[in-house]
Amino acid sequence: MQGVTKSYPNGRVALRGVDLIIPEGDFVFLVGPSGAGKSTVIKLLIRDELATKGAVLLDGRDVGKLKRREVPKIRRKIGIVFQDFKLLPTKSVRDNVAFALEVIGTPRREIAPAVDRALRIVGLTSQADQLPSQLSGGEQQRTAIARALVHSPRLFIADEPTGNLDPLISWEIIQLLLRINEMGVTVLMATHNAEVVTAVRKRVVALEDGRIVRDQAGAAYEREG
Amino acid sequence: MIAFVAFSLRSAWQGFRRNGLMSIAATATMVLMLVLLSGLMILLTGLDSTLKSVEDEVQVVAYLRDSAPQSEISSLQISLRNMPQVTEVGFVSKDQAYNDFVTRHPDQVDVIKSLPNNPMPASLRINLRDPNDYVDVASYLKNNPDVERVLNIRQTVDQMVTVINVLRAGGVVILLVVGLIVLFIIVNTIRLAVVSRADEIEIMRLVGASDAFIRWPFVFEGAIVGLLGALITIGLLFPITGLLTPYVSVLPVEAGLAVGPNIVLIVLGSGVGIGVIGSYLSVHSYLHR
Repeated sequence: MQGVTKSYPNGRVALRGVDLIIPEGDFVFLVGPSGAGKSTVIKLLIRDELATKGAVLLDGRDVGKLKRREVPKIRRKIGIVFQDFKLLPTKSVRDNVAFALEVIGTPRREIAPAVDRALRIVGLTSQADQLPSQLSGGEQQRTAIARALVHSPRLFIADEPTGNLDPLISWEIIQLLLRINEMGVTVLMATHNAEVVTAVRKRVVALEDGRIVRDQAGAAYEREG
Repeated sequence: MIAFVAFSLRSAWQGFRRNGLMSIAATATMVLMLVLLSGLMILLTGLDSTLKSVEDEVQVVAYLRDSAPQSEISSLQISLRNMPQVTEVGFVSKDQAYNDFVTRHPDQVDVIKSLPNNPMPASLRINLRDPNDYVDVASYLKNNPDVERVLNIRQTVDQMVTVINVLRAGGVVILLVVGLIVLFIIVNTIRLAVVSRADEIEIMRLVGASDAFIRWPFVFEGAIVGLLGALITIGLLFPITGLLTPYVSVLPVEAGLAVGPNIVLIVLGSGVGIGVIGSYLSVHSYLHR
């Protein structure tokens, strides 16, 4: 991100001149209080919103300058999970994961193996035929992670993935994200969870009032020393 | 491409089935609205054909002089037939007129029989393409020396034409208003069905589905709702019109209530059309944000 400023139509300025480079294969925590601009960073990356000023480059391309029909192609390089999982309640775990491939036109014979692989990574193979309502919160989030992984993204974005989960389950989710990172996928995780951030000792980017106030490798949630 | 169409049709059908309540609500609304619309159309078609038959009744009747030679009458008939306003020219001879009178008024046979000779004049009865041309044809006949008198029903014809025009215009206005209301209600119901699945659309967008992959399943689903609604409507129309026909036939309606191929096509077309357009527009608002 180069000198990115984002103001919303209601006059609120969410980001002010943000510069941020995330190398491929990195694991980055995006921290900061509510309203600091974490969600806006994510929305700009998936081009749900457009930057008011500056450029957002993904894989060398300015996502703000993409044509409408190119936007889906960029999104297929990204996997994303949210605090509220966003699973379809009428579909089984397997169908929820397969849905992500069906809607981008993947041939049917390629879908089943990819779904099985994603479910294996998150450890949900035995729950594949259950509905989301029959699962625990952690299992639901793992389903969402499988869906975000199934099309082999290069960037994995997690927006408060542990916000609705208890500490033990949260820890499992983080372990899963670290494994995904080890597979070569860049991971960007926005979070409030200080305990986890401090324990993992990865790069931490702290936002406050739309500005980056700290960018530190191997850091804790709070500024140290 | 084939995979895309197959996907769209399959997920349209799944969407229709899995969102049972919404699908039923949308289809039921579609049926009610289409019954309303097509019922009105059938009534108006009946009214129109009644009006047409009334218009066809308008005849210019010209009584001929007894002295008129047969050759003149024939040439008058020919020149009348050549007039663009005229559809048909009938000739009623003196004898025929006499017989008609006797059959129509049997109680007055004695009176007419007491007369020395047949008092009934021969006449020409001219059917018009359009009752508005009455004046033209009547004045043309008046100027002919062999015509004794043209039956003057001009005022009656004028009044009738006014009433018919008001009825026709009123029918069209009512049809337009009801049509707009129906369109609005159906599109709104489909919109609700799409809004209830905003999550699904959002997920599709996030995992990188192209606009076409998001849009077409919903459009096909709208078509399913429309087709189903139209078929049910058509199925209902036959018994409904069958039940109502005895009541309507009391009125001087020439053609009864009939579900013609036109109505079937209009119901099918508007059902599927509104379903498709409604879905397209509803999904559209989610895609262009």
